[in-house]
Amino acid sequence: MSQSAEDAARARLSRRERLRGAPAGGGQASPPSHAPADASPAVRPHFAFLSKDRVGVLRERAILLLAEHGVVVNHAAAVGRLKEAGARLEGNRLCFPPGLTEAALSALPNAVTLCGRSPAFDITLPRPDNTFTMRTGTGAHGFIEAETGAYRKLVLDDVATIAAVANGLERVGIVAHPFVTGVPELTADIHGVAALIASTPKHVWLQPYGEENTEYLLRIAAVAAGGEAALRARPIVSCIVTSFTPLEFKSMDVEAIIQCGRLRVPIHACSLPTAGGTAPVTMPGVILMAAAEILSMAVMTHVLAPGTPVIATPLIFGLDLRTGRSLQASVEALQGAAIAVQLMKHGFGMITHTYGSGSDTPDVDGQSQAERALLGQIVGLAGADILGGAGQLECATAFSPVQAVLDDEYGAMLQHFLRTPAVDDETLAWQDMRTVKHGGNFLATPHTLLHCRANFEPLAFQRLGREAYEAAGHRTALDRAREICRRLVDEHAASSPPDAVSLREIESIVKAADAQILKGQI
Amino acid sequence: MSNELEERLDAIFQAVRDFAQDRVAELVRHELALGTDAETVINDALIAAMEEVGDEFAAGRLFVPEMLMAANAMKAGLEVLRPSLAGHAIRPVGKLVIGSVYRDMHDIGKNLVAMIMEGAGFEVVDLGINVLPDDFVAAVRAHRPDLVGLSALLTTTLPSMRQTVEALRRAGFNGGILVGGAPVNQAFASAIGATGYAPDAPAAVALARRLMQEGRAAPLG
Repeated sequence: MSQSAEDAARARLSRRERLRGAPAGGGQASPPSHAPADASPAVRPHFAFLSKDRVGVLRERAILLLAEHGVVVNHAAAVGRLKEAGARLEGNRLCFPPGLTEAALSALPNAVTLCGRSPAFDITLPRPDNTFTMRTGTGAHGFIEAETGAYRKLVLDDVATIAAVANGLERVGIVAHPFVTGVPELTADIHGVAALIASTPKHVWLQPYGEENTEYLLRIAAVAAGGEAALRARPIVSCIVTSFTPLEFKSMDVEAIIQCGRLRVPIHACSLPTAGGTAPVTMPGVILMAAAEILSMAVMTHVLAPGTPVIATPLIFGLDLRTGRSLQASVEALQGAAIAVQLMKHGFGMITHTYGSGSDTPDVDGQSQAERALLGQIVGLAGADILGGAGQLECATAFSPVQAVLDDEYGAMLQHFLRTPAVDDETLAWQDMRTVKHGGNFLATPHTLLHCRANFEPLAFQRLGREAYEAAGHRTALDRAREICRRLVDEHAASSPPDAVSLREIESIVKAADAQILKGQI
Repeated sequence: MSNELEERLDAIFQAVRDFAQDRVAELVRHELALGTDAETVINDALIAAMEEVGDEFAAGRLFVPEMLMAANAMKAGLEVLRPSLAGHAIRPVGKLVIGSVYRDMHDIGKNLVAMIMEGAGFEVVDLGINVLPDDFVAAVRAHRPDLVGLSALLTTTLPSMRQTVEALRRAGFNGGILVGGAPVNQAFASAIGATGYAPDAPAAVALARRLMQEGRAAPLG
């Protein structure tokens, strides 16, 4: 049997297994599952906007910019250590010689495992199947109700809903905390992470809101992991660190690098340049900004937290130059995201994370589907290892669990794209082609039988004819996504929570954070 | 006004519309040499041009960089006129104190609004980023603005916005307080007692102009 035939057979077997696992009464198996894709290629199919030469130019300029103009690092102790490592301080700017930047790049781990609280959800990047994992949207302070579509402030109880949906979505490997209201704003990240880590066995992303907060977030992670040594061995969280564009780093983010390094918690080195605002208006300039800032974080990690995995995370924004509004999904920003991925992944060899979902529209509508479909395809094909932003809308300020279900469906399709089939006698059906008769067909050949369950089968997308569609009350993919969302919330709420002792300890950390961080608040 | 003078003022007007800083300066210099008084140049050419630019910006026909370039061209003309204006203050459309609220280090949106407001003829006092409520109050007492603009990019700094509005009202500031930024909306603005919310820079200018016209912007009594 050829490789693809074996894969097809495996696909058939695993589908049968899922059907066996379906609940009695003909209900659907849980979690919902797409038919597995066909063969995985040894090399990921690749789409590139830029030639290798142009990638080379960007690479060279990013390193040169850091050497000649440098960055501002607002952390005295870190500046001292970076100087000892060879950085040059000119005024308030710290310049990194090319040798230091190249050394940092060479020292970066070329693979990272983002562990789940349950090992079943561990993710190794780059993924062995040459595709990607997805991350839910972070930072949203608005929530779009699944049932009614109504918009309201996101509250702490919504974290469990987001977690339940994420737990059931196969493509989502990383769950991020939103911005929760109804708790003290300065410790909202700590409240959010405590709720999230109790509600998901998957990998959790941390986003500190203040310098003091990182310590508490990591303490919560350590408790959930079973102690600091266990967290070091199995990082069940990773942490975003961001530049303050252009070319500056706040003390909070530098401190986060140091603290994550102590526990070997992987770092998402994130740059969020805005074309025409915090970065040049033309995309190559924006990407140069992102690259220089991400390299700076790689250098800082190399010196301050050696051995800690760094994931390049360019998040590219446009600016509506009529109004000054930031845009996540302008066509320029979409193209910029793909080029940034190409540069960081193929120019610098870094594991790469960017938005794979998202839209500038406030609602789950046609625009939101079109923008994320374009974005996911080009960054996925450009090589991104993590596609972030599942469920996010309105330039990452709102979250919709129904949109997250649809994003998972797009993710499944995209993973299918990335598993391009082999071209051999088996996939050509060479024998059948040479013997097909006049007026014949391929419906019942052994070859078709072998592959008939390997095609992608949508869960939310509809393939009804007009009559069935009308009989079903004009049900669309959105309605189906809402049903899936409802089921996931029912089936995956509080999935494998930590033990009671750990939960009590996490609660006491949150209380301690409130007491300490809110002390002396204006 | 003679036809010749009108034509020359039209040329200055057009140079502002063309964002031509050097040409504006040159034409204004020429106008002064011909003996035209500074106030005529300001009112009939420079301010008139910026009013039209402001209207086109608010209508979405001009882009942010174009608005700013026009403002720079107008300023180039004002610089030439400055020595001739000794003792004659240029009357701004209104005065605005603006800043990013306490704990918010982001300034691009605030800068954008400040520049646009300046371009629209407002006198702007920019307090920068991370501004304490008490510092807003002190600035209001020192500068006696018609309006105060508060900016926040982060949801975590929204409480500072509320505290600043409260501090300003406690201090007796009855003028317009404009709020804006990614996490801000009309409901939040209303809830904290701000006078108005603007979702973007053109809307901020339109709101500020409206408040000035309605007389709802009033300095500290």
